[in-house]
Amino acid sequence: MSHSILSALSEDLLVRVYGFLDPPCRKTWRLVSREFHRVDSLSRTSIRILRVEFLPALLFKHPNLSSLDLSVCPKLDDDVVLRIALDGAVSTSRLKSLNLSRATAVRARGLETLARLCRALERVDVSHCWAFGDREAAALSVAAGIRELKMDKCLSLSDVGLARIVVGCSKLNKISLKWCMEISDLGIDLLCKKCKDLKSLDVSYLKITNDSVRSIALLPKLEVLEMVSCPLIDDAGLQYLENGSPSLKEIDVTRCDRVSSSSLISIVKGHPDLQHLKASHCISEISLSFLHNIKALKHLKTLWIDGARVSDSSLLTLSASCRALTELGVSRCVGVTDIGMMGLARNCSNLKALNLACCGFVTDAAISAVAQSCLNLESLQLESCHLITEKGLQSLGCYSKRLQELDLTDCDGVNDRGLEYISKCSNLLRLKLGLCANISDKGIFHIGSKCSKLLELDLYRCAGFGDDGLAAISRGCKSLNRLILSYCGELTDTGAEKIRQLEHLTHLELRGIKNITGTGLAAIARGCKKLAYLDLKQCENIDDSGFWALAYFSRNLRQINLCNCSVSDTALCMLMSNLSRVQDVDLVHLNRVTVEGFEFALRACCNRLKKLKLLAPLRFLLSSELLEVLHARGCRIRWD
Amino acid sequence: TKDMETGEDDLCQNNWGSASILDYEMAMEEEEEEPNLHVFKASSSGQDNNNNNGGQAWDPRTMLCNLSFMEQKIHELQGLVHLILGRNGQLQDEQQQLITADLTSIITLNNGGASQELEDDAEEGENLPPGSYEIKQLEKEEILAPHTNFCTICGKGFKRDANLRMHMRGHGDQFKTPAALAKPPTKETLPGSDAPMLIKRYSCPFPGCKRNKDHKRFQPLKTILCVKNHYKRTHCDKSFTCSRCHTKKFSVIADLKTHEKHCGQNKWLCSCGTTFSRKDKLFGHIALFQGHTPAIPLEDTKPSSQRGSSGCGNNNNNAAMVSFSLGSATNANQETSQPCFMDGKISFEESFSPLSFDTCNFGGFPRSIFDDSFQMLISSACGCSPINGGDTSL
Repeated sequence: MSHSILSALSEDLLVRVYGFLDPPCRKTWRLVSREFHRVDSLSRTSIRILRVEFLPALLFKHPNLSSLDLSVCPKLDDDVVLRIALDGAVSTSRLKSLNLSRATAVRARGLETLARLCRALERVDVSHCWAFGDREAAALSVAAGIRELKMDKCLSLSDVGLARIVVGCSKLNKISLKWCMEISDLGIDLLCKKCKDLKSLDVSYLKITNDSVRSIALLPKLEVLEMVSCPLIDDAGLQYLENGSPSLKEIDVTRCDRVSSSSLISIVKGHPDLQHLKASHCISEISLSFLHNIKALKHLKTLWIDGARVSDSSLLTLSASCRALTELGVSRCVGVTDIGMMGLARNCSNLKALNLACCGFVTDAAISAVAQSCLNLESLQLESCHLITEKGLQSLGCYSKRLQELDLTDCDGVNDRGLEYISKCSNLLRLKLGLCANISDKGIFHIGSKCSKLLELDLYRCAGFGDDGLAAISRGCKSLNRLILSYCGELTDTGAEKIRQLEHLTHLELRGIKNITGTGLAAIARGCKKLAYLDLKQCENIDDSGFWALAYFSRNLRQINLCNCSVSDTALCMLMSNLSRVQDVDLVHLNRVTVEGFEFALRACCNRLKKLKLLAPLRFLLSSELLEVLHARGCRIRWD
Repeated sequence: TKDMETGEDDLCQNNWGSASILDYEMAMEEEEEEPNLHVFKASSSGQDNNNNNGGQAWDPRTMLCNLSFMEQKIHELQGLVHLILGRNGQLQDEQQQLITADLTSIITLNNGGASQELEDDAEEGENLPPGSYEIKQLEKEEILAPHTNFCTICGKGFKRDANLRMHMRGHGDQFKTPAALAKPPTKETLPGSDAPMLIKRYSCPFPGCKRNKDHKRFQPLKTILCVKNHYKRTHCDKSFTCSRCHTKKFSVIADLKTHEKHCGQNKWLCSCGTTFSRKDKLFGHIALFQGHTPAIPLEDTKPSSQRGSSGCGNNNNNAAMVSFSLGSATNANQETSQPCFMDGKISFEESFSPLSFDTCNFGGFPRSIFDDSFQMLISSACGCSPINGGDTSL
């Protein structure tokens, strides 16, 4: 019946109807209705591919794709790319965004083919491809239209490769070079000379010197500059920025050890429109002159001064002038007390995110003040604030209706009553309760019954709760996708049986839970089909039946930690060969697995592994050809 | 400064004095270029000298000297112009130029300022005033001769005088005496010559060369070796080719040897073909030009990567080396050793060539037979129907 109605509608109406459906519904409709399937094929613009076998078919089916994500497609390699290129039917000319993060098996040949194939390419992500080097950069530089490029942790990339990209892609306006450890001043200098349109630049963790900052200061359009932990840059370097980069809006100098407040003052002086100043763990004290200059920043939205000595009076002065502040980071700041926080709360009512981790003197009074004044508060980090009790949490529950993220890790004062109050924050998405020893099933029950939107729950080492609490969570928090239960010793198979109800779970940590056996794991594997990350370290009592079930059901598993598990040769082989998306495996201290077992298990999955942790002696026991292939496919092995 | 002053004195007494009106006359009559040029050269160099002094503290004696020079010069020019008038103003271009040059030299000297050209000259070379040194010019054959010292008895040639003397010892005892072996006295060391010797400087025999004494901005060469190297580098064919790169050529062997030491280390290569020994030089070059990029050497390609990605048939021999015994594994794990596992073993041995990934094609794409065999195995083991969940997270 519905068939006839749908076929009566014109295509554009169908597209509109389809647009109103939420994603799970779309999937259902797509599967049962030919019309919607067709509409979906035509209207879909972005796709994330899990299995490379379907890549050409999917590309063919969705001609209007503009974004292609291949970051979780472990078997992708040069040959696949070349085959797609030869298969002329596939249309890739509209593709603008390409995500190749962790696609370490795609090398220069494949990249060049892709770059030539996708002529409209504008955004490329090749982050965490540790084997990505100059040759690959040269191949990528064929795509001259690239505007955004993310190359985080391309460990083999040197100045030469960067130069190729810089010369080839002169339209670049956003580039991230985080952890590209081979890049030096020369590369950055060339980048700044050739790509004058650059708006966003990330040079975090690089060993660049003041010379680079001098070049960067010449970029006329730069708006965002991130230089986290650049150990060689000092005040003299940052001073170049005072009169350079006139449109700078955001700067991050977190953990730049040699930077002091004097150079930050000069930056602030030169850029009165600065909106985000992130200077965590680099200034030791908020001096008067610093404060005086910060006061002039009327548009300041973000201020991170974690780790500095901040007095109450300076917090008051600061908050009195920077009323637009929405994000403040004062974690590990010595000198932050209730008086300062209350003043801040009074003045900055727009505050959305507040980080008070390790501010040991902050009490309930401050939290109450913040909760009452800052009604827009979305994120609050209170890790290791030992003086906070249920009272503070009560005001949070009463006033902070928009709270999405709450970190109460290692807060001794959190108890079941406190959790009951928190549970009134019904919009909570992320809750961290790790190391809170005083909570039990009762408190967890409140969370489970009220916080139905919860996406992430961290219960690391919460020894006080057990299967009943977990049952409440499983019943209430259906959309949970990240659950950390490591070292919750009370949990048993009964609890594991409950976890299976969490269909959307992708990340599960069960480290050190001795009472879970194969039955429990089998239940989880049957229920949580989307599971991508699983930590089973030191779950000694899981027998092979659990692993067999895992091998059979958890086809989406991407990362697994099996250290100290009693997995056998056969079960390991089964796991490694059947889990066709697995990329990252920890296989240390597996007492029941023989060398042959390792050899066979790894052979079964060597064409898709990206990261592997093994005991050091195996380096000499495994066959050299296996190790060679692993290496050639871009797998990194950590020998423990 | 003392040297300079004495040089200047020489200049005033000798050179300027000699550059009399007679010279001009002679030049006009004989139409010979040489003396003319000489005069001009002397005068321009004189400016250099004075110019150099101009920067220093005001010295009345120098000033006097300058003024007297100017006076003399003006007189000369007056005479010359009169002469020209007498000849109905017929004058060659070069001579005209010379006269105007002389006039300007007087003006600049008077101003005490330095023209750009003179400053340029001051930068390079040692700037000895002309006349303060003796100019020698070796002939081409002399320069290119491999040996300069010849044995008078057997005629053998040597590069060094000392080597010749060592050689002479073989021709008889009379050459073995300390006197014969000692360095022969030069003119400078000869007793009795009290007069200070002029410094020797050398001229290149190649006409038109800047190092040739007839060049208007002549710059002398310091030693004979300089002459030889200069002549070979600038005026001879480059006959020595580098044995490593086979492109660079040299005319002086020492240059070739220096190059060969570093040849091949020019690893910084631009797409335009230019090589650099230093990375910063390459990057400076790239920053300067549009479209130039660093070239990436080709020899880096590892064969192993190809082997890994495309599978290798030649490894089939090694399959036997993997002695994977499922028996041992199942012994360790009695309860899961199911009867169908033996099928798994068979499929291992029959279809498993250890590293071939694309043994069978699935929809045009490589799928490991390994995966499939296991999947068949596990479905038969569990007695379940195959699942098709979560293939794509659409």
